[in-house]
Amino acid sequence: MASVKLTGVKKIYDNKVTAVHDFNLDIKDKEFVVFVGPSGCGKSTTLRMVAGLEDISEGTVEIDGEVVNDLQPKDRDIAMVFQNYALYPHMTVYDNIAFSLRLKKMPEDEIYEKVTNAAEILGITDYLTRKPRALSGGQRQRVAIGRAMVRNSKVFLMDEPLSNLDAKLRNQMRAEIILLRQKLNTTFIYVTHDQTEAMTLGDRIVIMQDGYIEQVGTPTEVFEMPRNIFVAEFIGAPKMNMIPTKLTRSGDNYTVSPFGARLPVDGEKRELLLEGDVGSREIILGVRPEHIVLADSASESSIPCTLEVNEMMGSELHLHVYTEDGTRLIVRVPTLNLSSAQRSGLVAGARLNITFSGKVMHFFDAESKLNLCCGE
Amino acid sequence: MSENTVMAPKKHMGLKTSRRISNTAIYVLLAVISVVWLIPFICILLQSFRVENTMPVGYVIPKRWGIDNYLRLFQTDFPKWYLNTFIIALVSSVLQTFIVLCMSYALSRFRFKGRKLLMRLMLILGMFPGMLTMIILYRVLADLGMTQANAVPGLILVYVASSGMLYYVSKGFFDTIPKSLDEAARVDGATRFQVLKKIILPLSKPIVIYTVLTAFMSPWGDFVFAQYVSMGASAGKNVAVGMYGWLNKDQIANNYTLFCAGGVLVAIPVTVLFLCLQKYYVEGVTGGAVKG
Repeated sequence: MASVKLTGVKKIYDNKVTAVHDFNLDIKDKEFVVFVGPSGCGKSTTLRMVAGLEDISEGTVEIDGEVVNDLQPKDRDIAMVFQNYALYPHMTVYDNIAFSLRLKKMPEDEIYEKVTNAAEILGITDYLTRKPRALSGGQRQRVAIGRAMVRNSKVFLMDEPLSNLDAKLRNQMRAEIILLRQKLNTTFIYVTHDQTEAMTLGDRIVIMQDGYIEQVGTPTEVFEMPRNIFVAEFIGAPKMNMIPTKLTRSGDNYTVSPFGARLPVDGEKRELLLEGDVGSREIILGVRPEHIVLADSASESSIPCTLEVNEMMGSELHLHVYTEDGTRLIVRVPTLNLSSAQRSGLVAGARLNITFSGKVMHFFDAESKLNLCCGE
Repeated sequence: MSENTVMAPKKHMGLKTSRRISNTAIYVLLAVISVVWLIPFICILLQSFRVENTMPVGYVIPKRWGIDNYLRLFQTDFPKWYLNTFIIALVSSVLQTFIVLCMSYALSRFRFKGRKLLMRLMLILGMFPGMLTMIILYRVLADLGMTQANAVPGLILVYVASSGMLYYVSKGFFDTIPKSLDEAARVDGATRFQVLKKIILPLSKPIVIYTVLTAFMSPWGDFVFAQYVSMGASAGKNVAVGMYGWLNKDQIANNYTLFCAGGVLVAIPVTVLFLCLQKYYVEGVTGGAVKG
């Protein structure tokens, strides 16, 4: 059980490429932190620096108050699960899990107890005598988790542990990781490129791009108040619609005018804009697909558009529409709210009117791409 | 049209039939090659049991059989030469295997300044024939008192000294073992040496066996260096050099069958070693390590 603190951490490779810039983060004891971002954003490199598998070019990494920059991985008291499992192929499942304990010269009876206990939790008791090649992907990943589990380490590191599994198994393992976390009750750092995993697992999410931290926050914070356009588009699926438009302030009231419609800004968003004393300006208006609704008829606050593609997802429809000026938007409509007549009308080429409320809009400065409601 | 009708069955020949035909052809060819290959060995074996006379003769099957030639070997310096050769080959193979594997692991896993330059340099140096260094090596060994009757440690030194340059094959093999296995083991608490010993080497059995075999066999059959370093002193000769003396014009009539018996005994350790170790060649063991 330990806290992890990264201060000014930088990674510069021999070819002068900087993979991580000035990374600062305080991870509390027993916290589950997820590093998320597209490939090449430096999330795995950061994790590997915590593990001791990559040298730290600048800055310090502290585990439980102790600077570990110059400590070997074996001396950092961490456990790690790798994306490709990294099981020792010449050893049985039992020996794989027992490997670290044997290196510690733990008595065999104690090892037996720990290994069988971990195997039971992970449901792999029947496979203890098998070699990794005789296991399926999901079973191999369980063994890898088991190997990390028995060590009772201060920090549990996971580097995209689910990305090699098929979708169904991934969902199942995700739930198991949540349960495991409750059982182990230790500090977790989890790396993924999948925003769903990040949202469902993390106490806090660190969103990274090109080696920089874009935002750190709880899943709700990053979803509801993304700091910039990158975070707004990265979190949530399908991604947020971005509409270049103008924000107009008259007195204490704000309106936006996307595609000629006039939509007033109200609720908390208006308060936040007032708090930041935001004046009229060019903005990028962000609206999540699930916050757009189909309007019954054309009005001042509705936007006329044409349906291009209708994706049936089961419980909802993803409507790909384009407006009169050719801007493409995605609208998420729950099927439950639609009559069969409405549903049958949603065919390619159908004319629709869409609208959204002022409460769910996100306002990003057209130049700095920052969220105007974040007060920066 | 009639040609087409004739061609049709050939075109649709079953996969099984065609495979059977090609397999039969391959096995017949291999059998012929192995018989041709074995003829000299069988001749030597038969000649070693020939006791009617000791000269080279124009027939293969002995007229009188016996083990006199083998018994006579023990009245010569042969046991001494045999022991010399065995000591040289054994010590060199142990040391050389250790050095080659450490070198290969370091070059495969560590990234240090000058690594590529070092590899290129060794590649270029390896292209020069070892014979070029013979005179200077003799000078060095002579100064160290490791020639003639003391040739055994001298030869071990010569064989082991350049072994670091034989890294290519095993480094290539180590490169195919995923690095994440090393990393997992290091996180699990292993030192670099433990990673090599407990993870990499068990996974590299075929290449370790190959290294042991080549490291054993090259000193075992060496002639040129051994001849040069021992310089005629019987106590420092290996079997190849010692037995070569029996083939002199004035000795061959007395010693030809003796030479054949010696040849058979020389072949035994290598054959046994190969039979014991060859099963490890069969299968790689990296299956299931990481997601393919």
